[in-house]
Formats: sequence, structure tokens, C-alpha cells
Amino acid sequence: MSATRRQFLKNGALGAAALALPIPLFGQAGKLAAAPFAPSQWLRIGADGRTVLVVAHSEMGQGVRTSLAMILAEELEADWKTVVIEQASPGPNYTNTGTGGSDSVESSWKPLREAGAAAREMLVEAAANKWGVPASDCRAEMGAVIHSASGRKASYGELVAAAAALPVPKQPRLKDAKDFRLLGTRVPRIDGPGIVTGRAVYGIDTRVPGMLFAALAVCPVKGGKLVRYEVTKAKAVPGVRDVVLIDGGVAVLADDTFAALSGRDALEVVWDDGPNGKLTTEELWGRIDRAAEKPSRSTRKSGDAGTVLATAPTRLSASYRTPFQAHATLEPGNTIAKVEGGACEIWSPTQSPQRVQKEAAKLLGIAPEKVTVHVTLIGGGFGRRLGADYALEAVAVARAAKRPVQVVWSRADDFLRDRVHPATRVDLAAGLDASGRLVAWTHTATTFHLSMFGDFDANEDPDGNPWGGCDNPYDIPNLAVGWNEIESPIHTGAWRAVYYPANVFARECFLDEIAARSGKDPLALRLALLSGPSPFTYGKRKVDRAGLARVLKVAAAKSGWGAVPAALKGRRSGRGLACNIYHGSTLIAQVADVSVGAKGDVRVHRVVTAVDCGQVVNLSGVEGQVESGVIWGLSYAMKGEITIAAGRVAQTSFGDYPVLRMDEMPKLETHVLAGNPVPKGIGEMPVPCVAPAVANAIAAATGKRVRRLPIRPADLV
Amino acid sequence: MAKYSITVNGRTQSIEAGNPEMPLLWVLRDTLGLTGTKYGCGAGACGSCTVHVDGQAMRSCQVPIQAAAGRKVTTIEGLSEDGRHPCQLAWLAEDVAQCGYCQPGMIMTTAALVAGKKPAGAEQIEAALSAHICRCGTYGRMQQAVARVVAGAKA
Repeated sequence: MSATRRQFLKNGALGAAALALPIPLFGQAGKLAAAPFAPSQWLRIGADGRTVLVVAHSEMGQGVRTSLAMILAEELEADWKTVVIEQASPGPNYTNTGTGGSDSVESSWKPLREAGAAAREMLVEAAANKWGVPASDCRAEMGAVIHSASGRKASYGELVAAAAALPVPKQPRLKDAKDFRLLGTRVPRIDGPGIVTGRAVYGIDTRVPGMLFAALAVCPVKGGKLVRYEVTKAKAVPGVRDVVLIDGGVAVLADDTFAALSGRDALEVVWDDGPNGKLTTEELWGRIDRAAEKPSRSTRKSGDAGTVLATAPTRLSASYRTPFQAHATLEPGNTIAKVEGGACEIWSPTQSPQRVQKEAAKLLGIAPEKVTVHVTLIGGGFGRRLGADYALEAVAVARAAKRPVQVVWSRADDFLRDRVHPATRVDLAAGLDASGRLVAWTHTATTFHLSMFGDFDANEDPDGNPWGGCDNPYDIPNLAVGWNEIESPIHTGAWRAVYYPANVFARECFLDEIAARSGKDPLALRLALLSGPSPFTYGKRKVDRAGLARVLKVAAAKSGWGAVPAALKGRRSGRGLACNIYHGSTLIAQVADVSVGAKGDVRVHRVVTAVDCGQVVNLSGVEGQVESGVIWGLSYAMKGEITIAAGRVAQTSFGDYPVLRMDEMPKLETHVLAGNPVPKGIGEMPVPCVAPAVANAIAAATGKRVRRLPIRPADLV
Repeated sequence: MAKYSITVNGRTQSIEAGNPEMPLLWVLRDTLGLTGTKYGCGAGACGSCTVHVDGQAMRSCQVPIQAAAGRKVTTIEGLSEDGRHPCQLAWLAEDVAQCGYCQPGMIMTTAALVAGKKPAGAEQIEAALSAHICRCGTYGRMQQAVARVVAGAKA
């Protein structure tokens, strides 16, 4: 039983009356009044043996509060049941609290192991000194040090005072992987008990003394301006306390969220939508198409793809299109801010605490050290919460209101103010020689700049873009990759796996088109193209072709590749595959089984995944992320599409922007393979291959190529 | 301001509200501080705000306070005294939750269907859960948790 679990049982035992009391304020759990032993910023142990492990990345469902704590606990030889988690705030001790790119585990691996091992060595030495025996004769186990020969045992709690007086070893000895007790096992989410009892505190659940709830009217068009507003009706709404003006918006302050939202809806506001007020999806695609006709920026080149393509006996080309996408996190945008006495305190469900701190300081004209950011649990991130926009709204409103406020977005606000992932066009061309061998390949992606990260700059480092194009793993002698990024007139941002889904969809579907044209099996074609030199170096990254081939073979074998999936009456069945390497790290292959009805309706029956993400930290977490990524990918492939009308997002509810539901669940099979001794990312990696695996399965079933998403039944009839 | 008497998690309370249309969701969250009931869409489309009203699973964002008056409301905080309701235990055993935001609603829908003399089967529960949204896509593990709950209810 974990400490959080025990704590919760203790609270629960107080009975139903206690349950009606307001929930505790955020951030109190896990704080030890006096922790005699704190050898680093990552852990503290009290005289009672309670072990606080500090997590410096944001928990948004990817399980990072469990997996990072597991890394520390493994090296510390802590008793997992006594572990308490504390969420770090950005500051001198926590300089990288950003959470994105599926990087938390890999980037924390070395520092957390070293922190855990250093503390363990100090505790062992303290025990050895106490007993007058060599430290090498002692071992640490389950929160205690044991002298192997005599069987003497001292708990960490008994040793903390003596251990604290010892120097912190600079190069502690890390455990051998074969001795791992926790890592690689299935450990349930440490926040689980809080979640299933409703006691887990997300941003929107946070309360601070004296706060009011706030809802804002802002222009739904990028670049729009406030012309005038009238507050009489808003102020007449019961529960509304005040209306304040901030730069770019009008905020209604109230006693509860409902009054704030009702008051906001009662505001009469006139906007000047500005130059983007007439934008439509068609116009945006027009901009992409016009840009795609212009020469692109070359981001990878080998051989002479242009010449070889022009003279190849067989040539293929295709354009693939993916739509604008919303994040639609279930917890809508919200943040609490308090601005007082030249300082600011923020409670936010954010993936970018440092950025929130920095930008809030800039907005207020104070030093970043004067801004404290508390990172709450997050009800879904997926890249949306890398933006600081909603936190800054709260800061601006709190400053104007002169008291703490919680800004809460309605579901419609959340769609209208989303930083949508941009539509993307990928143009591919291939040349086959007389024997049908793939000898030339060009890949050009055209998309909008991600405005979430700052203004468009044509000279910005393309960072290996297009991801999925530049790091194309296949051995093709003549290859040219281009990147066409254009300024965005709508708010755009990162989205789970960012550039990979659009480019891997195009690449993997096109490869199947080539297989069909040259009469090859899609698996055999890929394996042949992966048999080249491995690893090969692309930019700063190594790409492990042989590893990808291994993973692909496992996915194929486990899915029964080669056989046709069972026929269903009145439906055409097919099986398709796709594979990818994410930034030279995690290797993944997926096989989808689908059937297509007479009206073009697609059912996905099964998705088999094989993945090598290096050393597994939490097996349950890795499997869960694969399951999650597949469902995310299916929502993307089958349903999701944001359109723009009058310069703004046209979808404002889950009715307009459907996502996959339980009755559409395929069977999921996940095979996690042993690999690299260093853990690699897993949160984003399972997304990109889903759409092409499904599209390739549809092509196998119907002969029809899907070249735009979402998949439309009308395209398959 | 009108007063409404509502029994929440076994305790009868007199609650003031300026607007009789104020959804039960916000009464629970903002007036009573029971934030385990989540706001996801405000339109009954996601199920995150599901609570029991007189034993029936209902979307609290669609229940005005005046309609809740005189009724017995159970929220996720009051589902069990010790966090050991069969649904809660099954959810933990299957390690269902990812971000976890939708899970209280999922659990409340399931708990309402397995309560009483004629507990629902997995198919009926899954049909009801298909009216909910989990953006993390934990549906597969949730199905396993439901299977556990159903097996337990039969035993």
C-alpha cells in the first residue's frame, strides 16, 4: 500500500461527513515539516522513514509521476509503499520542468539514478559506520540497510541523521539492470487512489483563499480587437461581482464558475475581427497549395533524386492531406493567479512551468524569481499546455481584479481558443528502375508555422523537419526532402507527435502504393529497404534500421501477416501495416485489421503494436501509452477535423468534433520488446503509424487509396 | 436568494443559489467544494460530471439545482467511505486511469448500473460508457475493469 493510498484510507475513514468538506488546498500533500536527510533536490527522507521523491515534469496521464519516482526509488532501494510524491515548481533547483516530446523519462534517467544511488550510498555508509563494519559488507533493501554477515538491520529513518552528515558522493555506483526490482515491472499509477475517489486535484479543482471565478470574452479571431463592450446585463447576473478589462479581453468575476460563464455570455461585446476575419478552411488550404508549388527548403539530400526520378522507367507521385486538429483535452483551459505585493503565484495545469514563469514576469514587469508556479495535475495535455496563453490570461485578470482569480474556459472556449495543429500537405514522388527497385524518392511537406512557440521566422532551424520525412529510415539511393513552412493567420500549436502523424501517414501509405505497383508484399518491401547500412546517421541522430526491421518482423508475426483476416458477411476485409522511428529513438510497427462495408463505413477490428522503447521503466505505463496512442491515432484517422469559418474554429462541442468512444474500440495487442539499456519515449510514439496502417488495410480490402484524413466513407464506395 | 435542500453524500444541506437554473455540477464543485465531479463539456456529451440522483446516473451539468431539490445525490467522493467500492477497486486493479479526469464519471455510471437487485451486464454497461469520452483512450482497460465488476456482482 502506498503512502498516498494509506493517507486516503485514513481520510476516508473519517466518514461521509468529512467528504462534504472542501478539499484541501493544492500542494500540501507530501511536504515533510523537517526532513533531516535531503542529499539533493530530488529526494528527502524523514526520521519516520517517509520518503519524498520530487517529480519535476508535468503529469497529464502519461504516468510520469509514477515512472520518474520509480527510477529514484530503484536506485535508492526505497520501499515503494512509503514513497510520497512532490511536484516541483520551476526555480534554481528545477531548471527544466517542461514536459514535451516524450522526453521526461529519457532526460531524467541519468540525474535521477545518480541522485537515488548517491543517497543510498550515504545511508549504507552511515549504517556501516554505526556498526563499525566495511560499507562493502552492507546492502540496501526496501528502505533499510542490512549487514549481510550478521543480519543486523537499520531502517533508513534510523540512519538519516548520520547520513546527512556525510559528503554526497559525486560518482555513485549505479545498479546493474539485472538487479532492478521495480523497473520493468507493472506498477499502478501512484495517483490512482486519488483519481478513483475524486480526491485528485487538477488545475480546475484548485482553490485558494479569497479567490473569485472568472470567465473571459476574447476575440475568437487571431489579430482581432475589442471595439466596445457593455456590462449592465452581465452585472445583473446573480453571483457576478465585477467586470474588468484586460489587454485583449473582458473578464467577468463571480462567486462560482456558472455565474462567471453566464455573466460572460451576457456581456455585449463588439469586436473588430481584423484582417483574418474572413478566413476559411478553403483559403487556408489555398495558401498551402500555393506554397507547395514554390521551391521548398532542402533539409536532406542524398544522390540526385531529381535526375533519377525524371529518367526512371516507372514513376509514381501522390499528395496526402491531413486536416487541422484540436486537442480537446477533457479538462478545459484554466489557471489560478494571485498578484500581490510585487509578486505572483500561479496554479496551472501546464506543460511549460518555466515559460509561464518567464512570461508572467514579463507581463507584470517583475523578476521571474518573484513568480511561483505550482504545477497541478493535468486533465489531458497532448501539447496544448505547452502554450502559456491561458495562464497569462489569469495573471492579467488577477492583476486587474486585485485578488486571486481562477480563469475557467467553457468547452466552446476551449475549442475556439485552441492552438490547433495545422493542416499539412505532403507531396511524394518515387522512381523505380527497370527491375522495379525503388531508386529515387522525394518528400516535401507544406504546413503552417506553430504560432504557439512564437512569431514565424523563415530562417528558423527546421529541426529535422519534416519529421518522418527527413528521418525516413529506408535505404533509397537518391533521396530529397523539402520543408515548406508558412506563417499562420490562425492560432496553431503542437499536438501529440507534432509533425510525425502527417508525414508518416504520407510516407507509409505511399510505400504501399509502390509495393502495389511493383507487385511486392508491403512487409517484404520494407524489410528490403531496411537491410541497408545500420545505424545510419542523420543530423545528430542515429537511425537504427536493423532495429526497426526487428520490430516490424515481430508485429508481422504476431498479427498473422500474410494471411487475410477473417471475412465478415457483406464487408471487405484487409490488413495493413506501418512502421516508424521517432527522432532516432523509439522503434515501432503497427498492423491494423479493418473491414469496409458497402457504404464505405470502416470498422477497425484489431491493432497489433510491437515497440522497442529501450529500458522499460513502468511496463503498465508503456502498455497504457501504446493503447492511448492507438486510440488517439484512430480518432485522428477516422474522425477528427477542425474547420475554419469567419477566421475562427467552427467546432465548439464534442458533437462537432467527435472522438473515438468505447463502442468503437478495436482489440489491442501490444508487444514490448527488450532493447536499448536507456529508456526512450513512449507518449507520442504510438500515434503516427495508426492512420497509415488503417489506410493501408483499407487499400488491401478495397483497392482504394486513402490520401486525405479523416477517412471518409464517400471516398471508399 | 432561494434555498434548496439537497442530500449530498448522506448529508442534507440547505444550499443558496441566485439562479434556479444553476446546474448541480457547479453547486457540487463551487458551492460544496466537491471537485471530484468534473466539468468536461457542460452539454451532457462527455459524461465527466456524472453523479447519482436518487440512485440513477445523471449528468450533473444537465440537472438544475431546482430539479435536485429534495433529492439524494451521491458524488464520487461519497461512493464509498473507504475508497473500496467494487468499481474503485476494479479500476485500480486494472490500472485504468491515465490523466484520470473522466474516470469519476465513468465509475459513477458503472456503479449505478451494478447497484440494486438486477445488476447490469457488461454489454449494457459498455453501451452506457460509450456515451462518455476518455481522451486518453483508456477504454480497453476500462472494459477489463467492467468485466471484473460484473464478475464480482454475480458472485
